[in-house]
Amino acid sequence: MNTPSDRPVLEIRGLRIDLPGTARPVLVDGHDVLALDADRLRALRTGTAAMIFQDPRAAINPLRRIGDFLTESVCLTGTTTVKAARARAVELLEAVGLDASALAKYPGQVSGGMLQRVMIAAALMGDPVLLLADEPTTALDVTTQAEVIALLGKLRERFGTGLLFVTHDLDLAAAISDRVYVMYAGRIAESGPADEVFERPRHPYTAALLASTPRMENPRGRLAAVDGQPPDLRAELTGCAFAARCALATEICDRQAPPSLPAPGRPDHKAACHHSDRLGRTAVDA
Amino acid sequence: MPENDEKSPYGDNAEHVLVVKGLRRTFGAVRAVDDVSFTLPPGGSLGIVGESGSGKTTTARIVVGLERADEGEVHVRGRSRTARGRGRAHRLARAREVQMVFQDPLLSLDPRTGVEAALRETLRLHFPDRDHGLRIRELLDQVGLGTRAADALPRQLSGGQRQRVAIARALAVEPAVLVLDEAVAALDVSVQAQILNLLADIREQTSIGYLFITHDLGVVRCVTDDVIVMRHGAVVEAGPTAEVFAGPRHPYTRLLLESVPRPGWDPERIAVARRAL
Repeated sequence: MNTPSDRPVLEIRGLRIDLPGTARPVLVDGHDVLALDADRLRALRTGTAAMIFQDPRAAINPLRRIGDFLTESVCLTGTTTVKAARARAVELLEAVGLDASALAKYPGQVSGGMLQRVMIAAALMGDPVLLLADEPTTALDVTTQAEVIALLGKLRERFGTGLLFVTHDLDLAAAISDRVYVMYAGRIAESGPADEVFERPRHPYTAALLASTPRMENPRGRLAAVDGQPPDLRAELTGCAFAARCALATEICDRQAPPSLPAPGRPDHKAACHHSDRLGRTAVDA
Repeated sequence: MPENDEKSPYGDNAEHVLVVKGLRRTFGAVRAVDDVSFTLPPGGSLGIVGESGSGKTTTARIVVGLERADEGEVHVRGRSRTARGRGRAHRLARAREVQMVFQDPLLSLDPRTGVEAALRETLRLHFPDRDHGLRIRELLDQVGLGTRAADALPRQLSGGQRQRVAIARALAVEPAVLVLDEAVAALDVSVQAQILNLLADIREQTSIGYLFITHDLGVVRCVTDDVIVMRHGAVVEAGPTAEVFAGPRHPYTRLLLESVPRPGWDPERIAVARRAL
């Protein structure tokens, strides 16, 4: 839910955040991933945290059969036998709405939606407690997207897997998540329960994103686009990262980075903005 | 395919900037495009929606001339595009009629050619006798790019700026029809809104017609006047966008509309409905 510039920092290297100066631990299932050595990191990726990428065609080796792709990681790490791995692969293929015949196929022989489901099945092979999904449905059309999302929801229930879903589709985020973090320029602009964030945004960036989304319910015609571009992350940021594009910005925004503060009466809903209260008012007035 | 019988849509080709009649294209046993017809008035905007493999991109490629139709006709400004091009001048004239903007400008722009040089190359090819400097400034201005962007290479630009360059290059030859194949799909929402507004401005200023290929129904609703819904190569529903979206008649159109995430969205029910269809 952010611009491409800040996604990689948290997501692409999600299993190992190599940020200089990151002092605090990043805990995945109690393990500090920043402190793990290569072997233990590999074990973590096999059995604890798994990732689903946006483009299955780019993430799955086109020269190997789907069955090999599914069983490779668990077999290589020796957590299971080949036979058990194949049985597990069939079980998961069925869970994602495919069948054992897919094992013998090559990625080029199935559709994009089917291959994305193969990737989800592969991610579940090691019984992860955490599933990281980076725009897993962006390349899919809406009906396939609904099917993949339904599947992720079911699998979450059945296997008790936590899901971290990275997307720039606000309505999708609102529909599937419990909590939402809105990021801008590498920082968390706003966080809170999904319905609260989308119904009563407390950060101008969230409000701007909501206004610029072409929606089925809104009136047709011009969208409320946000002018300008995200700041260059190579330069030092003083003040609020969104100030240059923000209609509410005042002098303090350029000078001082806003702290993340809870909304009055809603301790769970936080926003890093000097003018959250003004935003709430204008939204109601409009 | 639903026909608009009273208006006799294909009788008067001159009235429409683009007339597509009975297109068919098969790849082996697959009927990728199966009897597809539609028209586009000058300054109109037509959306083609459908899932992957529904034939929408093949239809667009036939209109542009990147793909050949087995059967059917494509007329632009009353002239047929079906016959093979005879000679360089003829092919260039045909290229000027319809231009295309692709999904990924990083792939459709030459990574080693700067913005100004890319525009100049196109202009020199099509209009060798004109003054290009003025026209380049005009085009950059039209798509909201500053003169600073003129010297930049594609990789030095943001995704939104690159797509502006691709649009400027398509507009350079003053086409009658602009085909946009998922042209805003790769952009994030704030940039996407800028580009959609830009396209709306251009349509107001010129009488260019848009053929908008996308699977994002929110985008279709925002930027098109009419829409056709394709499934398995055939048109299952066609009409004014507002009407089709307000009262979809075909079960597939209903499924598409229900699949758009929104509050109270139930993906499980959609998945069941999809398999039943």
